[in-house]
Amino acid sequence: MAATKYDVLIIGSGASGATTARQLTKKGIKCLMLDAGPAFDYEKDRVLRPVYDLPYRGFGKPGRFPHVTQANEFTAALWADEKENPYSYPANDPYYWVRIRRIGGKTLVWGRASWRLSDLEFKAKDHDGFGDNWPLAYADLAPYYDQAEPLLRVSGRKEGWAQLPDGIFLPDESKDSQATARFITAATKRGIPTTKQRRAQGTLASSANLILPDALATGNLTIVPNAVVREVMVDKATGLVDGVNFVDRHSKRELHAKARVVVVGASCLESTRILLNSGVANSSGVLGRYLFDQFYVKNTVQAIVPEARGGRPAAGMVGGTGYIPRFTNLKGKDKDYIRGYAVDFGSGGTPEPKYFPAYGEELQKAIANHTGAGFNATTMGSVLPRFENHVTIDKKTVDAWGIPSLHIEARYTDNELKMAKDAMNTLAELCEASGFELLEKHDKMVPPGESIHELGTCRMGENPKASVLNKWNQSHDVKNLFVVDGSSFVTGGSQNPTLTITALAMRASDYMAEEMRKGNL
Amino acid sequence: MRRRGFVGTLAAIPAAIPALSAQEFPKLEFAVPDAGAEPTPKFFSKPQFAALKKLGDLILPSINGTPGALEARAPEFLDFLLGESPADRQKLYRDGLDTLNAQSRRTFNKAFDGLDATQSDHVLAPLHKSWNYAEPADAVGAFLRAAKADFLAATVNSREWIAVVSQRSRNASGTGIYWKPVE
Repeated sequence: MAATKYDVLIIGSGASGATTARQLTKKGIKCLMLDAGPAFDYEKDRVLRPVYDLPYRGFGKPGRFPHVTQANEFTAALWADEKENPYSYPANDPYYWVRIRRIGGKTLVWGRASWRLSDLEFKAKDHDGFGDNWPLAYADLAPYYDQAEPLLRVSGRKEGWAQLPDGIFLPDESKDSQATARFITAATKRGIPTTKQRRAQGTLASSANLILPDALATGNLTIVPNAVVREVMVDKATGLVDGVNFVDRHSKRELHAKARVVVVGASCLESTRILLNSGVANSSGVLGRYLFDQFYVKNTVQAIVPEARGGRPAAGMVGGTGYIPRFTNLKGKDKDYIRGYAVDFGSGGTPEPKYFPAYGEELQKAIANHTGAGFNATTMGSVLPRFENHVTIDKKTVDAWGIPSLHIEARYTDNELKMAKDAMNTLAELCEASGFELLEKHDKMVPPGESIHELGTCRMGENPKASVLNKWNQSHDVKNLFVVDGSSFVTGGSQNPTLTITALAMRASDYMAEEMRKGNL
Repeated sequence: MRRRGFVGTLAAIPAAIPALSAQEFPKLEFAVPDAGAEPTPKFFSKPQFAALKKLGDLILPSINGTPGALEARAPEFLDFLLGESPADRQKLYRDGLDTLNAQSRRTFNKAFDGLDATQSDHVLAPLHKSWNYAEPADAVGAFLRAAKADFLAATVNSREWIAVVSQRSRNASGTGIYWKPVE
């Protein structure tokens, strides 16, 4: 069978790869999608099982996922195996690289929070002087956010805030519980805004059910699972990429696929790894540089809603969630750090047993007495993109297919530490003002990477000497090479990135299609 | 000749594997190993395991007919789990249990599993401290923090616990969505 040469070869089936496929195939462009993971049947490959029938009673096999705190014994098969997919980091600076290798990628289990960035992020340097601006503005991306939100079925409430632009939402008219309303009132009195969550809705909100079916329906998309990409290949005569080499995950057979255009959307660090292993798109020397994410302080505050004690809170007393968008340094610098943080908060949960200084019957009584009486809030802070936070190829560490992996160096610095401390103190103050009893407050950030919001390392920019991609997610060096995932970000703010990744992939795809139509690609 | 042989092999394969009817392959009932056997602890030493059982009974005793750690076989399960765990976790547990026994002998002249309620409460004083994100400075404090969490999870995730609690509450099914491994 002679191999077909496709118009566009797309690496990855997550938010960015699937979106690119959808946009291009609808315009009649023939696409080949390679994904390192297997296909699966969402109905048949997931079953209800009692926890006691699992080999480790829900604990999971010890040591299997030392860097994936999200994994449990129910979901163990979902996460990329760390032994098959090793990587390295400096001894005292762990990086938690969390990956999923299945059709749909991390959209199979993402948190679904869908927030737009604003010009506080796109033009961050203009605002506070640090780092670089994006080579595009909010107005450039807004029309694509308008398409991405309905595609992902995002619900939310419009607020009219400049730092968190409104979108095309399924309306959220849910009422706040008394406890949540008290917290909102306390925040409002201090000039701290709050809103409803903006989230993708539905039983499953994945590229596998929301995006890829549209692309397949055109008849223009071919998806090949279990294709572990080794490298992007360059035609030495033209300097253009002409395809990729990949390894069949099962047989380890080596294959080559050709295309006019190659789109890399394998997830932030996997994309950069592929490019570094390929030795392309790095005339600037910044490929792999400016790694950042959002720092998380999980359960920054854990409190009790006192009147909800007793084990059966009255209807309407507790429950519901909300969100505090960035509210610091909006018009200048009003803190001892730059940029800001966001907060997820909610009431109605039961605090974990560890919060109660007791054991035995006393502990069980405390848990019963506080069932549903909890309030907690988690901080998600902006991390500054720094040149020194970077990835390189670690030739000594290879995956199960013999492909060199990454050495990852990332550290949080004073700006993030000060931000986390401010968030802790602010949230503790709000809890007190709300009449909640604080069980614990802290500012201990999870290790870099654990938020699964890794960004940068293949960033956009106007200057080809200081960036890898132009404003269309197109390589400065190789015009038929595009990188469409979170690696292209210049800054990230405190907003979850998937919505912006989707919008960027749409925008890049429209440009790509037009350039192909003109014969420029 | 070789080609003909290959084609002949292909021809011998039926077009489709005929499906067996339910009568030809009836659904068989199976049991889990614990239904007909007792777990055999092997990771901890006898004094360590005795202390572990005592600790489990103190952290989560049987209350009002709800199985406690002992009824849930949580000590036996943790013996298995720790035997599979990374070395630093194994050391935390072994050293922690040894320390409980040593403190008990030093203060009360007997092993931890022989202490009465007042005496064991004295040894378990770290569990009365408020929890915070700072790691306890002393090894036994860190061990007790880990053991408390592990005993609670090992118990509430047990067949014995869920069988009782699910009778009282529809929300306590103890089930979750399991993602099957995909080849």
